[in-house]
Amino acid sequence: MTLILTSFAVLLIMIMLLRIPIAFAMGVVGFFGFAILSGLTWGDIGNFRWSIPLSMASNRIVDTAQDYGLSIIPLFILMGNLITRSGLSKQLYAASYAFLCHKKGGLAMATIAACGGFSAVSGSSLATAATMAKVAMPPMRKYGYSDALATASIASGGTLGILIPPSVMLIVYGLLTQTSIRELFAAGLIPGILGIFLYLGAVKYVVWRDPSAGPSAEAMSWAERLHALKGVRDILGLFILVMGGIYLGIFTPTEAAGIGAGGALVIALLRRSLSLSSLFKTLADSARTSATLFVIIIGALIFSDFINRAGLPGMMVDFVVSLDVAPILVIFVILMIYIILGMVLESFSMLLLTIPVFFPIVSELGYSLVWFGIVAVIVVEISLITPPVGMNVFVLSSIIKDVKTGTIFRGVLPFWTADIIRLLLVVFIVQISTWLPDMIYK
Amino acid sequence: QTVLNVSTWLPPTHVQNSVVWPTWGKWVEEATEGRVTVNIENSSNNPAQLFEVVEDSVADASFSFNGFVPGRFELEQIVELPGLGANAEAASLAYWRTYKKYLQAANEFDGLEVIGLFTHGPGVMHTRFPVNSLDDLKGKKIRIGGGVQAEIGKRLGVIPVAAPGNKVYELLQTGVVDGAFMPMVEQQGMRLVEVAPYVTVLPTGMYMGAFSMFISPDFMDSIGKKDAEAIRSVSGERLSLMAGAAWDKADIDAKKFSEENGGQVNLLSYGNQMSLDYLKITDGIDQSWLDAVKGKKVDAQAALDFLRIEAQMYTAKQKDTGAN
Amino acid sequence: MSFISWLNANYEERGPMKWLAFFFELIAAATLFALMILTCVDVVGRYFLNHPLIGATELTEIGLAIVIFSVMPVVTWRGSHIVVDLIDAFIKNTYLRVLALVSSVVISSSLYFISFRIWDVGSRMLRRNITTEFLHIETGLIVQYIAVLSFVTGISALLYFLLSVFTQPNSGEEK
Ligand code: NA
Ligand code: NA
Repeated sequence: MTLILTSFAVLLIMIMLLRIPIAFAMGVVGFFGFAILSGLTWGDIGNFRWSIPLSMASNRIVDTAQDYGLSIIPLFILMGNLITRSGLSKQLYAASYAFLCHKKGGLAMATIAACGGFSAVSGSSLATAATMAKVAMPPMRKYGYSDALATASIASGGTLGILIPPSVMLIVYGLLTQTSIRELFAAGLIPGILGIFLYLGAVKYVVWRDPSAGPSAEAMSWAERLHALKGVRDILGLFILVMGGIYLGIFTPTEAAGIGAGGALVIALLRRSLSLSSLFKTLADSARTSATLFVIIIGALIFSDFINRAGLPGMMVDFVVSLDVAPILVIFVILMIYIILGMVLESFSMLLLTIPVFFPIVSELGYSLVWFGIVAVIVVEISLITPPVGMNVFVLSSIIKDVKTGTIFRGVLPFWTADIIRLLLVVFIVQISTWLPDMIYK
Repeated sequence: QTVLNVSTWLPPTHVQNSVVWPTWGKWVEEATEGRVTVNIENSSNNPAQLFEVVEDSVADASFSFNGFVPGRFELEQIVELPGLGANAEAASLAYWRTYKKYLQAANEFDGLEVIGLFTHGPGVMHTRFPVNSLDDLKGKKIRIGGGVQAEIGKRLGVIPVAAPGNKVYELLQTGVVDGAFMPMVEQQGMRLVEVAPYVTVLPTGMYMGAFSMFISPDFMDSIGKKDAEAIRSVSGERLSLMAGAAWDKADIDAKKFSEENGGQVNLLSYGNQMSLDYLKITDGIDQSWLDAVKGKKVDAQAALDFLRIEAQMYTAKQKDTGAN
Repeated sequence: MSFISWLNANYEERGPMKWLAFFFELIAAATLFALMILTCVDVVGRYFLNHPLIGATELTEIGLAIVIFSVMPVVTWRGSHIVVDLIDAFIKNTYLRVLALVSSVVISSSLYFISFRIWDVGSRMLRRNITTEFLHIETGLIVQYIAVLSFVTGISALLYFLLSVFTQPNSGEEK
């Protein structure tokens, strides 16, 4: 336990005070932590078999770089870049603005809805945040939205789709716990939509506190609105292609990324908005952004290898089992553990490390595993925007260079609070998650 | 006291994790009189890497599917070839004995000490549509895993779709593929009953899938001769048999689970036209394997004959004792 | 516009580094483009022509590694790795420069040491004839590509940092 706490402290110092890139801080702490667990001491630095931690790290590097499921990251980023390059996103937001400009924060709300829709389809928070950052950020800035609100609505909006099927996280949970995946999918739908509405409420709250964060203007006439609508045909067509293809079973969500990028390329070519030079720059830019994200994923995995070997999952179980309190309090303790782990762990490794140890406890207490799946995925989702290691926030700061991570985290706070409210609702009102699957499958 | 870290994958509820590893762990602790304790740890590594994870002492022991590393374990495909006609328990015993007698010399497990070899239950068809004849499969999109499956798929005339195992549910759910070849256990394990409720089981099995369990030689050196021998005494044939039997039991449970949840399990008899057609279609796969391993300096034909006789003898014994 | 002036206009690097940056980005850009085409061809072939591209999955995996690691040197020497910049508002630029040096050393040394291990892992795979499932491409070669690019990233990032510190004492790092 001392080692784990020390490593958390060192990690926080490295990333917050020494300003070491997050990926390398996690990787280095994980590396040396693992080395210590493999027998490294002050006395034998020379004799220690460094190949053990080096192999652990190199396995993670080699495998993550070739992970088929992660191929959606560069391809969806490319799609977002192409959409922006061809002016599609400008037109989409011009149309949204035409309809919503008289509402404070209207564009941020439109962004939330768009992120919800996009992440529902792609099944990936990272890909959503990466795509939408390019699509939504420049227009929101243009219409005078504050950086904090604009970036936060994208970073948070990207987390919405985890619960809405298809969902990689729910499939993983279902496989780990042998819970019906289709029931999990049905159970996630209402909490997922609830999340969208709570986020819209968060935007309302932000612009109520500070109207200049999402300024409003004179309402536009219907003639102006209809004129603005003309420009969105292409981008709607692209989204229909991507969504329709997945739901009709023509391609998988993973392949949708490549199809979406190809579709965006075709549109950009038809609009003659792409020269060889700008195509090259778009491709290279997408590759660079992806690389910074992959390094973080690798660093997080190395760190989680160390945490796993240090026995944290077992310690958590021992702690929870030793509690002699009411079942609902046990659930709360588990949720607290998730929130704390969410500060430093990446979402996917968090699920893989914790679910196998927690679900037997939850099941023994008599709770539905479908319900716990939704609860667990919501807390894991919260970790994506919880500082200091919030992957979605990093995506934003990697794509939008001139906004500080501090600004984004500050902007995220109302959304984070909305998530906590949703978590409590789903925990206390079990029917929010279980009503739909019970109705369909029982 | 030494801790033996076993890195494992598959869900915690899977027999490999709920039965095989804990049972072996108890055996090890008893055999070493408590000097070696077994710690089972869920790994989030790609299971294909677990061979290297153990070789490099990142973990002390683990298991993996040989087909995850194409090219390395060509001889080990021997037990996957269609036509063995045995359950996992019999196949695992025969596989272990064949390995010791013939295959070990080729040193495909270079860098590792093998502690057990086993197969999953016979591969079956999980489809979104009922299969009444092998022609029904022609032109259908079928997810193809590694190993011998690609060749079988080609001979059946399916449109092969390659994808990692953890994507199978998604592929079937969206309808990107119409079916998959996997053991019965996945009706329950991967919840395939929800997305591919039609299960077609050939009496000889379609193919088998070979797994290995291995330990780091460095770990064995570090605990001394006496404890290393103690661990070996509870591994090998004994462990292989136990694992095979456990995986068989998982198949039986999964079949029951599937039928309770709306699955249509079709067990074909030996005389069924489809069974006969399958034998015809897969005829000659042996030869392609024999050709592929020519360079390995092992009498592959003799090994194959030995494997099949061992499997048949054990199957007969199972029938005699009424175990099956 | 001539290629040289295009290069000068689009790359902030100096001297031969410009060419190197362009070269790395060209590999990544071409591969990413190919990945996109590959998926489209595979899907169209499978759904409309009943003939998928055999090995599309493994080509995607290989392409992904090439895209990510080809740009790694450029991303690293430009200092684009994501940092938590909560302290920036409170401390002086000089300290930020010192911290940037610390980061540079951490990044460079970790990539340098790990690259040798990755290379060995790749050699071992080559020795054992480990290939991809359908196209029988030697997996070890991709692993060694990752190793080489990690090595280049480690070395070039440190050199570039030192170069920019010693040649431009008062600019470069400031925002
Ligand atoms: Na989704
Ligand atoms: Na976090």
